[in-house]
Amino acid sequence: MSDPTNAPGPRAQIPVTVLTGYLGAGKTTLLNRILTENHGRRFAVVINEFGELGVDNDLVVDADEEVFEMNNGCICCTVRGDLIRIIGGLMKRRDRFDGIIVETTGLADPAPVAQTFFADEDVRRATKLDAIVTVVDARHLPARLADSPEAEEQIAFADIVVLNKMDLVTPEEAAEVERRIRAINPWAEIRRAVRAAVPIESVIGRDAFSLERILEREPEFLAEGNEHEHDSDVVSVSLEVERPLDPERFNAWITQLLATKGQDLLRTKGILHYAGEDRRFAFQAVHMLADGDFIGPWREGEPRRSRIVFIGRDLNRPALRRGFEACQAEAPAAAGTDRT
Amino acid sequence: MSGGAGIEGADFLLQARGRSAELGAWVVGVAFGREGRVCAFGLGDGTVRLAAPGAPAEEWRSVAAHPAGACLALCADVRDGALSGGDDGRLVRIAPDGTAEELARYGSRWVEHVAAHESGVRAAAVGRTVHLLDAAGRALKSLAHPSSVGGVAFDARGKRVAASHYNGCSLWFVAAKEDKPRLLEWKGSHGAIAISPDGTHVVTAMQENALHGWRLADGQHMRMSGYPAKTKSLCFTARGRWLATSGAESVVLWPFFGGGPMGKAPTELAGGDGVPCTAVACHPQQEVVAAGFADGLVAIAEIASGRVLPVAAPGRGPVSALAWNAAGTALAFGTETGFAGLVDLSKR
Ligand SMILES: [Zn+2]
Repeated sequence: MSDPTNAPGPRAQIPVTVLTGYLGAGKTTLLNRILTENHGRRFAVVINEFGELGVDNDLVVDADEEVFEMNNGCICCTVRGDLIRIIGGLMKRRDRFDGIIVETTGLADPAPVAQTFFADEDVRRATKLDAIVTVVDARHLPARLADSPEAEEQIAFADIVVLNKMDLVTPEEAAEVERRIRAINPWAEIRRAVRAAVPIESVIGRDAFSLERILEREPEFLAEGNEHEHDSDVVSVSLEVERPLDPERFNAWITQLLATKGQDLLRTKGILHYAGEDRRFAFQAVHMLADGDFIGPWREGEPRRSRIVFIGRDLNRPALRRGFEACQAEAPAAAGTDRT
Repeated sequence: MSGGAGIEGADFLLQARGRSAELGAWVVGVAFGREGRVCAFGLGDGTVRLAAPGAPAEEWRSVAAHPAGACLALCADVRDGALSGGDDGRLVRIAPDGTAEELARYGSRWVEHVAAHESGVRAAAVGRTVHLLDAAGRALKSLAHPSSVGGVAFDARGKRVAASHYNGCSLWFVAAKEDKPRLLEWKGSHGAIAISPDGTHVVTAMQENALHGWRLADGQHMRMSGYPAKTKSLCFTARGRWLATSGAESVVLWPFFGGGPMGKAPTELAGGDGVPCTAVACHPQQEVVAAGFADGLVAIAEIASGRVLPVAAPGRGPVSALAWNAAGTALAFGTETGFAGLVDLSKR
């Protein structure tokens, strides 16, 4: 008895899908599609009490969307206090579901939800953020972008944008809406839909938030000129350098950058080539909260370079570029760790 | 840990003087009835299991307390049996004979915290509200808070009830004609809460791996920090000299005497294995604390000598529930993975 190997191992993390989108965009329609489609998966659904429609599911939790500041005095470092409690409660009956879906209110800023998965140790241990799915109304998105910062933020945070109500727009309008979405978030995978009909596999089980997936979701880089078209407050800046990075310099730079500009930086993602390192380093941040780790080796024949993309407001492209370039190691990697 | 107690040795008390079971669901809470005849384990599958402390041979009974949900909180009820709150929105009393009686139903909201005092008052926290009920189960009052309640505790006499929430906690008089709380403010999110036995201090555990305390006489703040993890379990020793806490790789005890805890270092017990402490329970009379760890180890430690006595060996999941009986002669525990134990510690 008592062989330590008999100890129950760490249990699999429960995937969490966050559904955001403006009132009327079709968020609840998508939610009900996910729940009623016969995929054999069971979900616990966390909804806000002002949901548009009823939700047909066994396990539904009403949430208050209590957004709490973390105790560091910074207004962007917020978490969903209710979600921490709800996930804690749900974990006591984790055999009853395979995934959690969190629906936010139409006006919600997605940052506190996303940050909850970085900031709370228990939530981190028990769950993993699978993807942030934002449902937008193809016809009304331009007006929403013009009148509400939340609409931009919901797109900026999205891993997947469901471009809904495609039957109500012309092909030209559709192309323009896609261009607007890409200008804000070059990573978002756009799924066109009518009545929120998208394959469930395209929104659930994507593992889009994992560091390993950052690379696979190659951003659709914009031509540089695009970034100066100010039809939106939120823009993205993507940077690439050829020479390997000095990890200490990068750390110092990004730490300082997130600490001072984190409020404006909604999301940051990067794949980095550290000097003397055969593995890729994946980095991501939501505002000031960052996460990074080595992922698999560079692929055969793949150019080894470092790329980073910032999505945010008031981004100073030249300053970001200078900062990132200055993270490059001076000389080839030190002897002993050098690859030949 | 204490010299020479190997894993076999660590399980000696459970094997020789205890009874254990695999219950198959997260043990959310455990409590002995004040009448001394039952020990109740509240489970994530919505059942409450009843063991008989005096009769180890007796089968444990299963009570369907929350048939459509999970038990989220459990405590000893006012006179006998246990009080259980569930995610089915129900507050349920479990009598010593295993009868489940619904005391209140709060709709789709979860009953996340429960407390009861032998003077005949019960508390159930549902969202931002703490509902108080009398011994007969009648609703006394509903106390509103600015945000969801993270923990509830009565004082030693049952005269006041404290509820933690965002940016502090509220202290209410149970029998007040007009319900106006004393608001104890401190920025941040507050969870587990305790009132010192003499009623002079309130302490909460915070989201930021720290404790916050208030000296009620003058509102003096106390910060107790340095925890590597969130404190989820805290309790005062019987006479209130020490506050025992989980959240570190040892049992951290803050001195509430001789001017402490301000400017005083805490005492640490049962450390050294590098395993986080997940639950603490103070002995009802002596300066002895029981502790459960993330690897499943359960031990009792005597504060004065620092002596540690293992009760149950590691290997059965993080300890999530821990309680003494009123006489201090039996200890019960449960783990996240559904292991539960009941150990007789009386002198023979
Ligand atoms: Zn911040």
